[in-house]
Order: sequence, then C-alpha cells, then structure tokens
Amino acid sequence: MTLDTNALLIILTGALIAISCGFLGVFLLLRKMSMTGDAISHAVLPGIVIGFFVSGSQRSLEVIIGAGLLGILSTLMIDALRKKAKVQLDASIGITFTLLFAIGIILINLFAYKVDLDQECVLYGEIAYLPIDLWITPSGLNLGPRITWLAGLNFFLVTGFIYLLFKELSLTSFDEHFSSAIGIPAKGINLALMSMVSYTTVSSFESVGAILVVALLVVPPSTAYLWTKSLIPLLRLTAALGILIAILGYYLAYWIDSSIAGMMVAVAGAFFFGSALIKGNWPLGLRGTSKPSPAFDS
Amino acid sequence: MITQVPQPVLEVHDLTVSYDQHPVLWNVDLSLPAGQLIGILGPNGAGKSTLIKSIMGLIPPTSGYIKIFDKPLQEVRTRISYVPQRESVDWNFPASVLDVVVMGTYGKLGLFRRPGKKEVQVAQDALEQVGMTAFANRQISELSGGQQQRVFIARALAQQADLYLMDEPFAGVDMATETAIFQLLQDMARAGKTVLVVHHDIHSAMNFFEWVIMLNLHLVASGPKDQVMTEELLRKTYGGKLNLLTQVTDLIRKQDFNPLKS
Ligand SMILES: Nc1ncnc2c1ncn2[C@@H]1O[C@H](COP(=O)(O)OP(=O)(O)OP(=O)(O)O)[C@@H](O)[C@H]1O
Ligand SMILES: [Mg+2]
Repeated sequence: MTLDTNALLIILTGALIAISCGFLGVFLLLRKMSMTGDAISHAVLPGIVIGFFVSGSQRSLEVIIGAGLLGILSTLMIDALRKKAKVQLDASIGITFTLLFAIGIILINLFAYKVDLDQECVLYGEIAYLPIDLWITPSGLNLGPRITWLAGLNFFLVTGFIYLLFKELSLTSFDEHFSSAIGIPAKGINLALMSMVSYTTVSSFESVGAILVVALLVVPPSTAYLWTKSLIPLLRLTAALGILIAILGYYLAYWIDSSIAGMMVAVAGAFFFGSALIKGNWPLGLRGTSKPSPAFDS
Repeated sequence: MITQVPQPVLEVHDLTVSYDQHPVLWNVDLSLPAGQLIGILGPNGAGKSTLIKSIMGLIPPTSGYIKIFDKPLQEVRTRISYVPQRESVDWNFPASVLDVVVMGTYGKLGLFRRPGKKEVQVAQDALEQVGMTAFANRQISELSGGQQQRVFIARALAQQADLYLMDEPFAGVDMATETAIFQLLQDMARAGKTVLVVHHDIHSAMNFFEWVIMLNLHLVASGPKDQVMTEELLRKTYGGKLNLLTQVTDLIRKQDFNPLKS
C-alpha cells in the first residue's frame, strides 16, 4: 500500500467523477430514467466524432459541445418516439441510442484517415494514466493532471446546478404536471438535466470510459435508495459511496494489478448486492431477519 | 341550460379538445362567477379531467380559447391552484408530507429561490386545515390513499390562489373529512375565491355546490345549482341509468321538502 501524490490524485479524481455521476443519477433514478442515462452515454459518440473532426483534438471544447448536443438530441428523440409515435419507453431508448451509436461508429470509420480517435480510450478510459497527462500552461507552468481539473470543473458545475435548481428538480421529478401547471417549465428542467448528464458523461470518458460511466450513474444511487427514502440523505449517501468506491477501487486494483475504473464499478456492484441482500425482501432463510415476502411482491 | 355571467372569473369559449385527432370535448362554452363553490359532474370518460387540464394549459385545445380573470393563462398562473388526480404521481417518491405541501409555494417563489420560514409556515397552516399536522414529517409512501389525497389538497391550499381547480379531491377521503374540507372550501368561496371541484357523489354535490357544471363530451348544463340539478338534465348527463336517477330524483324531492334548505 502506498499513499503518494499519484494515488491521492487518482482517488480524488475518481471520487469527483463518482460523486458528479451519482448526484445526477439520483435524479435520473427518481424520474425512472436511469436507462436514459445509459442511452445518452452511447448516443454522444457521433457528437464526439464530429467535434473531434472539427477541432482535430480529442480534448477540445468542440467535443464537449458536440456530445452535449447529441445528448439533448437523444433525449428529444426518445421523448418524441414515446409521446408522438406511441412507442414504449424501453423500446424508444433502445432504438435511439443504438441508432446514434451506430452512426458514431460509421463516422469514426469515414473519418478514420483524417482523425486518430482512440476508440479504446472513449469506450474504456484509463484513469491510471492521469499522472502523466499534465496541464502545462504556455509559459511552462505545471498545473497538475488535466483530467483532475476536468473532473473538478465537472463536479463544481454539477453541484452548482443541483444546488441552484434543487427545488425545480425535485418538483419536476415528483409531479411533472403540477410543475407545468404552476409555471415551472418541466420540459426545460428535464432538458437541462439531460445536458448535464451528457456533459458529465463526456467529461468522464477519458478516465472511466463510456460504458463504466453508466454504472456510476446508476449503481450508487440505487444502492443508497435501498437505505434511505428521503432526498437529502439519499444525495449524501450517494456521495459517501462515491468516495468509498474511489478509495477501495484504487487499492484493490493496485493490489491485483487491474483496471482502476473497472474495479471502482466492481466495488460499487459489491456494495449494491450487499445492500440488496440486507434490505431486500428475500424469502426467509436467505437472510436472517424479518418477514417473508408474498409471492406477488416484486 | 347554460347560464353565462357578466365579469366572469373563468370563460371558456367554444372549446374543443382532442387526443390524437379524436375530439373528447366538443364546443364547450361557459363562464363562471367569482366567489362560488362550483361542482363539475359527469360520468367516467365525460371529459372532466380533460376540461381541467386544458384550463391549466396542460393540453392544447383544438379550437377555442380560455380566459382567466379576463387574461390569458400565462399572465395569471400564480393565481391558480391545481389538484391533479392522485394516481398521476408515484407516491414512493422520497419526500415528507411537509416537503410536498411546501411545493405549493414554488409557483409564487419562481425559479432558483428557495422556500424559507414563511413558506414552511404557509404549508403548516395548510396541513392544519386538512387535519394532517400530525403527519408533517411522515414519508408520503407511508400514507393511506385518503391521507395522500389530503396532502394534495393541502398543497393546493398552500398555493394561496384565487381560483382552485380540483380533480376528484375527495376520492377515497372519509365522509367526516370530506364534510370538513367542503366547509373549508365554502369558507374560501365566501372570502371571494372560486373553487371548481370534479365530484362524483351527487348527494354531497347537492349539499355543498352553489353552481354546477354538467358534462358529457358536450356541455349539458352550467348554472346555479337550483336551476340545473333537475331530473331532465341529470338524465341527459348520465344517460338512462335508471337506478341512479331514481335515487337522484328522490334526493331532489327530499331537498324540495326540506324546510331547512338554504
Ligand atoms: N392521454 C389520453 N389519450 C387518449 N385519450 C384519452 C387520454 N386521456 C383521456 N382520454 C379519453 O378522453 C375521454 C375523457 O377523459 P377524461 O379523463 O377527461 O374523463 P373524466 O371525465 O375525467 O373521467 P373520470 O371520471 O374517469 O376521471 C375518455 O374517453 C378517455 O378515454
Ligand atoms: Mg378524471
């Protein structure tokens, strides 16, 4: 075990990402839209490719804007398919993100000769390389790892967003109609939330990858939801889980010499299953205490 | 039998509303007076919720328009309060009773501003009016159906509006509470508020409403209770459901002979 600067930076970055994703994930969970988060994380791919093509760099503002726009587009598309074409929500999500993801893959191949987009990096990310990717100002000043700065900025924006719009986010999650009725724009708030999810997904790609970021959106909030049924404790517990996941994920990965992001999500999964085992309605015998659940209970 | 009033609180002009190009409300044209407790009656699927939702601007009309306080809806939103049908939300949402009632004050607060002491006080007063003070800190998932309904009524009261639109606020509420809340609504009407209530029980409708709207895809009637609660109009509204209608006629007869009738 070591606790050097690098370890600290990786854990800090991991925790920042896990908390940002977790906070947004809580609201997705309450809106029963966790899978929309999944959809967005895949649907942003064409936006990344186009942003990359325009700017020539994987780490440019254009990439984030492109991804943000695609995230919003996919939200609108899912909504339109569901409300206008009367397609079931799960089917609308499945259709939307696979289609956009496919377009992204085609674009990567079309532009392959022009751009050198690291698909591995977009899909899997690697937080372990963070200490060698430094942000150095034109004057030569070393400001530390670029990805940590990105994660910090993301954390700051997500927390600010939720702090400012806390009452709107909770009201629209609970009762969309009532909120429109009293003049709080439910659709606008929803789109704002989805834009934050898109931005967070993209901002986290390089460290944890497009697939594992979904786990961070879904798993910690679901775990916390097993323990508490009120909103503020739910957010607090999600944040605590985020920190714990980053610490344990790092050291376990270090110990068995494996992917840190992968281990973070595996730890999150372990927390979830542990909680589900303790809090779930299992038949007697599978757990120590409390009543058996009726057969029709889900 | 449609009575129009001068200087109405709410005017609905030739309103037609459709779902998927299929009209469910036809040419509804009515105007309502201020300071009254108004009932909306009609069978299931008559379009009562649809009428309320289009007044609240939640469903765009196919044709026609609505004016509230002589203005378009957008300008007067904060003066209108709305109680949706209870089934429209998921009661497993992690919030306490007080949290939900405070939501009633959000419209007046506007974007970004947070509820403070004043808003909490308003919410607590509203809870007291519906007899739910003891439940303020209870999670809403742990309430009975009638208690949930009372929370929704409290949330509407916390809006401190001038016009209240309530979609079946008494569904699943016990008789004693229903009567108490009806009396509360009557007091509010006396204080100049206008309260519209979608209601299914004709008996209490006779007792409490001053003005009645009858709906069955078309507008059947809108006017003072004494003039519209007739056998003929009820038959037109509910169709020939004989059993119900004899009961109603009995009721009307009883009321006519009731010397204490107001
Ligand atoms: N979202 C919808 N899409 C399509 N049709 C709808 C929708 N909502 C309602 N309808 C139809 O519109 C008609 C009026 O419905 P509405 O909900 O206004 O009735 P209601 O008078 O409120 O009935 P209830 O007493 O059961 O609440 C019904 O025939 C219903 O089938
Ligand atoms: Mg209805």
